[in-house]
Amino acid sequence: MTDPHVVGAGMIDFGELYEQSFDDLLESAYLSLIENVDKGVDPSDIDAAWYGTIDIANEGSSGSAVAHATGLFETPITRVENACATGSDAFRNAAQAVKAGDAEVALVIGAEKMTDSTEGLIASAALERLWRGRGVTMPAYFGMRATRHLEEYETTREQIAEISVKNHENGTKYPHAHQQFECTVEDVKESPTVSYPLNLYDCCPVTDGACAVLVTSEERAREFTDDPIRVAGYGLASDTFQRGAPEALTNFPATRQASSQAYERAGLGPDDIDVAEVHDCFSITELITYEDLGFCEDGKGGQFVDEGRPHLDGDKPVNPSGGLLSKGHPIGATGVAQIAEIFEQLRGEAGDVQVDSPEVGLQHNIGIGRNATGAVSCVNILERP
Amino acid sequence: MSGPRYDRSKRQDQHLIGFECQACGWVSFPEEKRTCKRCGDAPAEMAEVQLAERGEIQTFVVQQYLPDDIETPQPVAIVDLPQEGEGEPARAYGLLTETDLEEIDVGTEVVARFRELFSDGERPINSFKFSVPREEKA
Repeated sequence: MTDPHVVGAGMIDFGELYEQSFDDLLESAYLSLIENVDKGVDPSDIDAAWYGTIDIANEGSSGSAVAHATGLFETPITRVENACATGSDAFRNAAQAVKAGDAEVALVIGAEKMTDSTEGLIASAALERLWRGRGVTMPAYFGMRATRHLEEYETTREQIAEISVKNHENGTKYPHAHQQFECTVEDVKESPTVSYPLNLYDCCPVTDGACAVLVTSEERAREFTDDPIRVAGYGLASDTFQRGAPEALTNFPATRQASSQAYERAGLGPDDIDVAEVHDCFSITELITYEDLGFCEDGKGGQFVDEGRPHLDGDKPVNPSGGLLSKGHPIGATGVAQIAEIFEQLRGEAGDVQVDSPEVGLQHNIGIGRNATGAVSCVNILERP
Repeated sequence: MSGPRYDRSKRQDQHLIGFECQACGWVSFPEEKRTCKRCGDAPAEMAEVQLAERGEIQTFVVQQYLPDDIETPQPVAIVDLPQEGEGEPARAYGLLTETDLEEIDVGTEVVARFRELFSDGERPINSFKFSVPREEKA
């Protein structure tokens, strides 16, 4: 057993990349990684790869798509699909294999071509399975938590909107972010309604993107960099409101379970986290994630925002990259990109969004499957060794 | 799509029948289950229970953007449907129908209505939607 370490990351600018094919995205992210490893990496060093995509583009993208995009034939490449936790679960699988000693130098690559086939998302609401989420879109699934949170706690519409304001402001300082503009609480409240109570600026955009990171053993880490980042813990869990727990109406028990697993493995708790990249597919998702990760008490997510704690200069900065709301959410790439951002933060390389000397960072996704009946969450914790 | 998938679930799609786990009391509706989603009992002993026609909205949204064959604005809720007898309610999605948007809130009582959910191109597929009870409408 060894501790897995992240030793490199490569990311492309997220956006509406109509001029790039799905294969182009993968190739670009891979080349970006190869060029960014401090001491270099020879492709022949890579002995396994995990590929995250939910294949929104419907190109039948399996592990061999990554072989075609990178030239890594004859190497085991596994495609991972786990809803919006796809990228982070691909990373988790690579970390596990390195930890077990079965892989020594593992590539994690995530990509999604979202713009060519947006019906891939909206069509999920047209499921013909009775009662299994027919008529329920992604904004509806998360919006239902907003309605109940506003009802049950002292949460205000303005507090939810402020998360979008914060993340858009951060995004203007982060070069890879898709949506580079600032907005106000009033802008959020007055933008068109998508699914009451959520408006357009409460929702992440439709974005293409790809990202790759390199994971290796503690023993080999310094072949690639003098500044590796240790994978301290990870967790993965599912839940559904159908199980009847009251907290599943306002929050995500899957995040609570996944983060408990990750904290336990790492021997750390929420107070130890210095910076986090969390799943703000919608503004409300970030608010309830503060609570689910233990950054604040249940029902206090709104107050957490009011106190400025998740802001860039707060004591618990969340989504310095601009989050999904600004950066975009190319599903398979999202979790891998969050890992890359935490890697940059812990190495002090995050430029205009660098937070003050972080030692421990947390990455989180919460996703729902093609039907809206349940959620899956993945949490990874990285730390300076 | 093929016909049999609806035929397989026809009975519970057309009757307010729940399936109660005898180990933990959880109620599945409308899926007929042999494993329990709450306690994980497998194989679980599931007992059929009769659900009430009236339930309560736990939370909801009003959707403005949906595939073309679903009308908008479309309110959708998570609804608790109590059992006719003792025991826990079932918790499920409910599409709302024949209801003004202003009438919908957390805690609102709704009644199950047997309606067409969609058509498979050849025949209507019917099951339950929910509405605010008519006699309580203003």
